[in-house]
Amino acid sequence: MTDPILQVSHLTIEAGSRTLLRDISLVIAPHEVFTIIGASGSGKSTLLKSLNRLVDLTSSLKVSGQVSFRGSPIYAPGVDADALRARIGILFQQPVVFPGSIAQNVIFGVKHLGQTRKQDWPEIAERALREASLWDEVKDRLQQPAILLSVGQQQRLCLARALATQPEVILMDEPTSALDPKSTEAIEDLIVRLKVKHTLVLVTHNLRQAQRLADTLAFVGGRDGAGQVLAIGNPDDVLSNRDQPELAAFLVTD
Amino acid sequence: MSRKLLHHGFRAFTALCALLACSILGWLIFAIARRGWPAISWQFFTEQIRLVGASGGIFYNLIGTGILLLTAFITSSPMALSLALLHGVYLREGRWKRALETLLYVINGMPSIVCGIFGLIVFVQFLGWGKSWLSGGFLLGIIMLPTVTVALMERIASLPVRYVEAATGLGLRQSQIIWSIILPQSLSGLVTGSLLGLARAAGEIAPIMFTATIFAGATIPHGVKESPVLSLPYHIFILAQDSFDPSVGAKVWGTALVMIGLVFVLSLIALPARLKMHEEAHHD
Amino acid sequence: MQRRFSFTRLFSYSFSALAAGTVVAMFVLLILQSLPVWQHEGLSFLTGTKWFYRQQQFGAAPMILGTMITAFTALLLAAPLGIGAAIFTSEFLHPRLRLTVKVVIELLAGVPSVIYGLLGVLFLRNWIYDLLTPFDPLSGDTLLTGAVLLAVMILPTVMTLADDALRGVPVIQRHAARGLGLNSSEVALHIALPQSVRGLLAALLLALGRALGEAIAVFLVVGRQDNQWPYRLLSMQPLIQSGQTITTKLASSETNIAYGYPLHWAAICGLALVLMVMVAGITLISASFSRRHVP
Repeated sequence: MTDPILQVSHLTIEAGSRTLLRDISLVIAPHEVFTIIGASGSGKSTLLKSLNRLVDLTSSLKVSGQVSFRGSPIYAPGVDADALRARIGILFQQPVVFPGSIAQNVIFGVKHLGQTRKQDWPEIAERALREASLWDEVKDRLQQPAILLSVGQQQRLCLARALATQPEVILMDEPTSALDPKSTEAIEDLIVRLKVKHTLVLVTHNLRQAQRLADTLAFVGGRDGAGQVLAIGNPDDVLSNRDQPELAAFLVTD
Repeated sequence: MSRKLLHHGFRAFTALCALLACSILGWLIFAIARRGWPAISWQFFTEQIRLVGASGGIFYNLIGTGILLLTAFITSSPMALSLALLHGVYLREGRWKRALETLLYVINGMPSIVCGIFGLIVFVQFLGWGKSWLSGGFLLGIIMLPTVTVALMERIASLPVRYVEAATGLGLRQSQIIWSIILPQSLSGLVTGSLLGLARAAGEIAPIMFTATIFAGATIPHGVKESPVLSLPYHIFILAQDSFDPSVGAKVWGTALVMIGLVFVLSLIALPARLKMHEEAHHD
Repeated sequence: MQRRFSFTRLFSYSFSALAAGTVVAMFVLLILQSLPVWQHEGLSFLTGTKWFYRQQQFGAAPMILGTMITAFTALLLAAPLGIGAAIFTSEFLHPRLRLTVKVVIELLAGVPSVIYGLLGVLFLRNWIYDLLTPFDPLSGDTLLTGAVLLAVMILPTVMTLADDALRGVPVIQRHAARGLGLNSSEVALHIALPQSVRGLLAALLLALGRALGEAIAVFLVVGRQDNQWPYRLLSMQPLIQSGQTITTKLASSETNIAYGYPLHWAAICGLALVLMVMVAGITLISASFSRRHVP
């Protein structure tokens, strides 16, 4: 087996006196689509955001345990969380476009991370938009406000923005939950293509999506008042697992 | 690594701004408290002024400011309630509602000295009241009106629609809904807004210097015409203009401390309600 | 459908009319009462530099200039400091501490102007006098003293409103930018600041309006010297000599003397009108910025 790209060991996240996630351990291999399912409120979003330390921005959250990215611990003292986030991109439930044009949105990251030359930006933007399957739709109106795009296009624009900085991992927090079926399919097709170059961690509550895309599937369920990984492995095995009452309940209701 | 450097530099710069701003303002309070504290005694509150402020206390200044603020509260409340009801209940979205908001903006930005000049024309001259507590109270009521109205408007806007719907379902008329549901539920807004407005009005001099307040020689007013009162801020204002007599100096600082204390107490009582409102506003 | 008579409705409309009527009456009264001076002076009421009421000469230009100089200098001093501090409280400070700081700042925003005036009289004007020694000032009562005092007075307002404006930028925008690898300073500069420009402008304009209309604190430290029209407009000179603003003139005892002398009184009302129009204009621009426009 190849070395894992991300390894979560005994991760516990608390918000005040409440435990959101307890003793999570996961291994994520390069170039796979690692998918996390679970009921809403089970803490799967928080788990995702702990992988690039975006949880740091919520001051009430306390993290213990460790996550390793390419073998080095990310919650160790002295780690540059901003540099880490540049290597692990994230896509949210709702597309978050910045004010400004489509072109400005795509190059927002590369521009401010400052590792590229200005004359390369148009090329980077085109590459990222092509990777996000948005190029053909927007190539003639790159200077138009991004907010005028449809929600599905906006979500792909956000994906292009993340891809432009060439992250190794892309985290996706229910990226299609706000989208119509057609846009959802477009994003799902993209995920399949992206794993050739990237590693994807996908949070979803859509079982069909999980079944279609996942290489590894983890179920996060609430037990004893905290989210825990109750089942993990091959998607078919997890979805046919009847040993865990929480998973059984989730599969029935969803 | 120039990004890192820029980051730390920028953060340090803003921290310095915050520190500087807070220390200027902190010094201000400290300066007043340190000099004002020795003047504070029981007699300071219960005696009246003697020797042009060099001796005695501020009893009638407290009474005067109290009378002005009470009058301001009584004048502003019905106007604020009316404006808030118009805004929240009677007016539909559109030109009149915007005009009402604009009116509040204009009153809020109005220089208080202009209010004073207006009062001088209308109350002192046209109505021939001379200096009177009533005109001062009315003008201060206008000054605090936007604060009270906005607090009430926010409170009414935050009332759950289902209350009103439930009441309409019971067949209540609009005015009955207002009196039985909207007004009782928005009372806290009136209280909070009034406290904040009074905190602002308490320190105003410009509206009352020509219309309502004098430096010495007034006690409790017995009528409306020619019935000025003493007040805390005007007392400080006059003494500040020639505070070279050391004994006067001590009294000025004492009065200033009482003034600040009064304003802070009024705002602090309103604080819990404001924080709650603040949280609700940021809780999407 | 015939609407039933409602006492509550009548009550609401009449008291609202009273409030609106008072404001309208202020404008109308000031216009009417100031008519004689406009007839007497014409536009030179605004441009004339000599104000000698015994000679029936009413030129308000030095006071208008004094008002502008003090208010804009105050804004120039308070804006960078206040916005810098607001960036710190909204972007870098721990949320719980932020609330504490905000409460304190809002308390300070409520400190009466006469208190600032008192401190100005007893400290600031001496400091300014010492500071200006190289320029050989006549006293510490200068427009600069007034401006610095105003700057301190509007500082809490600028801080708390700028903080509100910055916090108004959605959290998710910050998270998205942080997710791309930007640090918190870059998010402040490239996300929070550009997206809150309207709110920040509204805050500054509101503070400017406050500074323009403030009477009492400035009154105590500005020297109240009439007819101070500077030889050189674009220099430090107007700033470091004593002067008069519209508000300090209105708050002076001349207002009491003037009533009964129609022209003199008209001049006072004219000053009040000019001030009111200036401040109302700024307030309305500020309001149009802070109102949310849904695209």
